[in-house]
Amino acid sequence: MPGTLSPPQKTAGETLPAVDAATSAEPDRPWITIVWNDPINLMSYVTHVFMTVFGYAKPKAEKLMLDVHHRGRAVVSSGTRERMELDVNTLHGYGLWATLQQQD
Amino acid sequence: MRVTRRRGHARIRLESVESGLLATLLDDLDGALQTLPDDDPVRQRLFPVAYRDDDEAAEEFRSLTEESLRETRAERLGECRAELPSGEGDIDLDDGAAQRWLTVLTDLRLAVGTRLNVTEDDDPTIDPEDPDAQLRAIYQWLTALQDSLVHAVMRG
Repeated sequence: MPGTLSPPQKTAGETLPAVDAATSAEPDRPWITIVWNDPINLMSYVTHVFMTVFGYAKPKAEKLMLDVHHRGRAVVSSGTRERMELDVNTLHGYGLWATLQQQD
Repeated sequence: MRVTRRRGHARIRLESVESGLLATLLDDLDGALQTLPDDDPVRQRLFPVAYRDDDEAAEEFRSLTEESLRETRAERLGECRAELPSGEGDIDLDDGAAQRWLTVLTDLRLAVGTRLNVTEDDDPTIDPEDPDAQLRAIYQWLTALQDSLVHAVMRG
């Protein structure tokens, strides 16, 4: 018998109750963290943050920073939703304008 | 103001007026963190919306993270405030302290820059007739300090 923390087992002819949009999103599409351009943060600082937070080498961090600067945004990490929430929270702590969403 | 790096440590040298200015700015930000209303642009910039297209998820994220982030900001701000010389003097920073100063200077620049509504195309020349002339000069000084410190840290 499954414990109370196990997900409900779906049986033939039975439909699962409706779940909210967030949990019904397709699980195979990864979540992404996006950093948006802002007029205040310095290019040197943004590069430094990408190196510090994600451990990216300087060339990769600079390329992402330039994407943010010239294209207005860049995807800086991807993975589970929980992991992306952590990344966004960390980037907010560094003062970057970051959001998460499921990949298109 | 002058930032140097020696034997793995960054050093910020401040004139007396600069120490006083930073003390005032840090105290102002400390107060603002506690009192800014939800719809204030500075608060919205310091605590951005995490989900652009999902208000419910954005609100839940905020409820789980904002208070803790506010405490982190207040704490690191207080640590920097405590390191300020009274008058002219040096602040010697190990890597951890230099990182902390970078984030606190970012918070200050976000607050001042948002208040000034700065854009990437702003003319760096300050019009003395501008009622915000003094605040713009402060913003430019914060920018110079932060840029110097980033480069000192990245040189490693």
